[in-house]
Amino acid sequence: MTVLSFSLTPDATGRMYELLVCLAKFGDSVSLEARSEKASPLTITALNLSRTAYASFALDAKTFFISYDFQATSSLKNGDRFTCQLLNKALQSVFKSRANEGRSRESTVERCDVSIQDQPDKTECRLIVKMLCKHGLTKTYRLTYESVEVMHALFDKSAATQGWRISARVLREYVEFFGPKTEQLDLLAQDGKAIFTSFTEKIQDGKEVLKHPLETAITIHVEDFEEFHMQENMHIVVSVKDFKAIVAHAETMRGSISAQFSFPNRPLQFSYQNSGIYCEFTLMTDDVRGATSTANAKFVSTRSSSRQPSVVPVHSFNRTYSEMPPPARPPMNQSFGSQRQSHSLGSQNRQNSMAESDPDPESLFVSGGEDDSRWDPPALDNDDGEDMLGWDSNYENPGASFHPQLEDREPVAPAEPSLQQTGTQATEGLEPTQRLSQLHGMFD
Amino acid sequence: MRFRASITNIHTFTKFTASLATLGHIAWVRLDEKDVRFTVIPENGSQVWSVLAKDAVFDTYTIQSAAPGNTINLEVPLAPLQRALKSAQNGTAANIRLTKKDNIPLLSLTITTSTMNNPVPHGTQNDTGVEEFREESVDFFGSRQDRETVVTQDVPIRVLAPASVQGIHEPVCREPDVHIVLPNLMQLKSISDRFTRLASSSKSKSGFGAGSSGPKLELSGNMHGCLRLSLSTDAMRIKSLWTGLENPELDPDHVSQGEDGLANHPSTRMKAMGDETGETDEGWATVRVEGKDWGRVLSVGRLGGRVIACFCHDHALILYVFLNGEGPGEGESVLTYYISSYSA
Repeated sequence: MTVLSFSLTPDATGRMYELLVCLAKFGDSVSLEARSEKASPLTITALNLSRTAYASFALDAKTFFISYDFQATSSLKNGDRFTCQLLNKALQSVFKSRANEGRSRESTVERCDVSIQDQPDKTECRLIVKMLCKHGLTKTYRLTYESVEVMHALFDKSAATQGWRISARVLREYVEFFGPKTEQLDLLAQDGKAIFTSFTEKIQDGKEVLKHPLETAITIHVEDFEEFHMQENMHIVVSVKDFKAIVAHAETMRGSISAQFSFPNRPLQFSYQNSGIYCEFTLMTDDVRGATSTANAKFVSTRSSSRQPSVVPVHSFNRTYSEMPPPARPPMNQSFGSQRQSHSLGSQNRQNSMAESDPDPESLFVSGGEDDSRWDPPALDNDDGEDMLGWDSNYENPGASFHPQLEDREPVAPAEPSLQQTGTQATEGLEPTQRLSQLHGMFD
Repeated sequence: MRFRASITNIHTFTKFTASLATLGHIAWVRLDEKDVRFTVIPENGSQVWSVLAKDAVFDTYTIQSAAPGNTINLEVPLAPLQRALKSAQNGTAANIRLTKKDNIPLLSLTITTSTMNNPVPHGTQNDTGVEEFREESVDFFGSRQDRETVVTQDVPIRVLAPASVQGIHEPVCREPDVHIVLPNLMQLKSISDRFTRLASSSKSKSGFGAGSSGPKLELSGNMHGCLRLSLSTDAMRIKSLWTGLENPELDPDHVSQGEDGLANHPSTRMKAMGDETGETDEGWATVRVEGKDWGRVLSVGRLGGRVIACFCHDHALILYVFLNGEGPGEGESVLTYYISSYSA
């Protein structure tokens, strides 16, 4: 049987509510993952229905918890992890009143104890939250949970060479300008400025035109960012709703929010941290405006120019990359970065020569001629490819458990199915063998 | 077709738009060289016809149109316009222009802000983990003094052909029986809304009501400075009376047939009846208005203008809302509300 129990400080209890409110914008349920790891032993995540947005809050052992105790048993199929899923609403209501009290006046909660009841002799699993209040009052909540595998999104930070960082408060003020009914947000860098445009794709005619929501564009000097580096005239599109939820929560955490991304149709990650909470949001991006130019890309950047040359090759690698089906990549992150880098340099050199003629026999790229799928309308909800399963390479013991992952991986064009099945590189890990869509019934 | 102007009085324009937006979703906007006219004609409820002198709100106003009289007719959704104007509240400058994007005509607002210049120290409510950030943020804001952030808000609109607006005419009404300056609209609105609520709650309890439309308020005025608001239902009868209000003198130049017309004007006859206490039953001109609609009309109070109510007994109520700082004359800004009376 698994033992998991931890205690939260009054402040952490309030923070817990805030992060649950934020997670509620992504999905109805939240997933809890406890590990015996020292640094950040507890992670709370949510994944949206269309699997295009993933939010994760990793809680720091030292600052967030008064105490933390986790003992896994061998009976757990997951190894030394405990994972479960709860209804966000239920959990939120437990923490709700605490948050209000904590903000307005002296918090009445002195400690919050959470434990799980996972004994074989009890019929139902329960998550027990005890609020120890002043004057000896204790409130106990028993919540049902579902013991399921937790799905994480993998984000390849080494590929995301572009990004920016800005004070969450500044961003929050601007976010207010976005109309409530707009759906998408376009990020663009142009003439030393960053342009955030909220828009809606729906085109209506006649009288309906007037029901079209307000389109808002906010132009911010890159100097107003703490850091900024983005390819000029490249459009990255995310959901306004997700963006607003993230910025709203980031503002409560007081600090700066970072965005990291590579190119349209690749994942983007927002991150920030404070008070022992590490927040990461991985969003699928889109390119609906279609205007992303590739020829002689310039960057709008606050980074020193001396760093530029080292960045450009990476970019042109990615350009090549987006034009062609990707190589079958080994999913190990550590070896991955360096490997990609070398690809990038190599591919840039041969880029001109390989135009129509034979590809380099050494190259892992398949010259597919014109990749027609580039012209397809973007399909965010398409289950094809984007939700490939992969192994969590960060996990020390990959053989012991099974982690479904949403991976940062270019959809593999169906024309090259062989790529997907290319032999396992035994030294580097196992290839994903199944699609998520084929996994229904195992956890659902 | 060209239209471009800078907005000098963003607060007035925002409040003006907000007042119109309570009556309907879409306004017919007519721009010409002299003024800007906003007209809202909802399917049911009161209409508003308003004229904004271009100087009241705009500056560097340019208009160019092929239509006769250099006019441009637009259909503008009020909620997005209101929202767009709202984001200009803290701006340092705002411009509006007519443009087109992806073949959709737009009114595009360009707002320059420098809202970050005076950061309010943040984090007084909560003290854990804030210190570090506060220090950082002061440095950070200090460095961004001179840069401006530009916000553009695109309001989708429809351009109307001159022919399509030809048939829309401002209502014509007979000479009013009573004209009176209304008391503070905030006060009038809160009392009216209270009456409306009382009426609808008593109705829902008794379980029967007068058709689908809401409760009716009875509004009366006399030529001796009295205004009366009353409500009668099966269960109750309540009444509020204002006295000592002003009945503005009519300008003979504005009355047909001049002095003679004035002598025969209905209000002159009404003046002979009633008194200043408002206790008699004589000399009142009365209209019945729908409570909720009346509440929406009164939201114009936010503009803080002088409001003259003209009563046509049993027929209609016309409110003239003169915006502050405008004397009578060519360039005045006025909103005219046409509220028709329900039969008793």
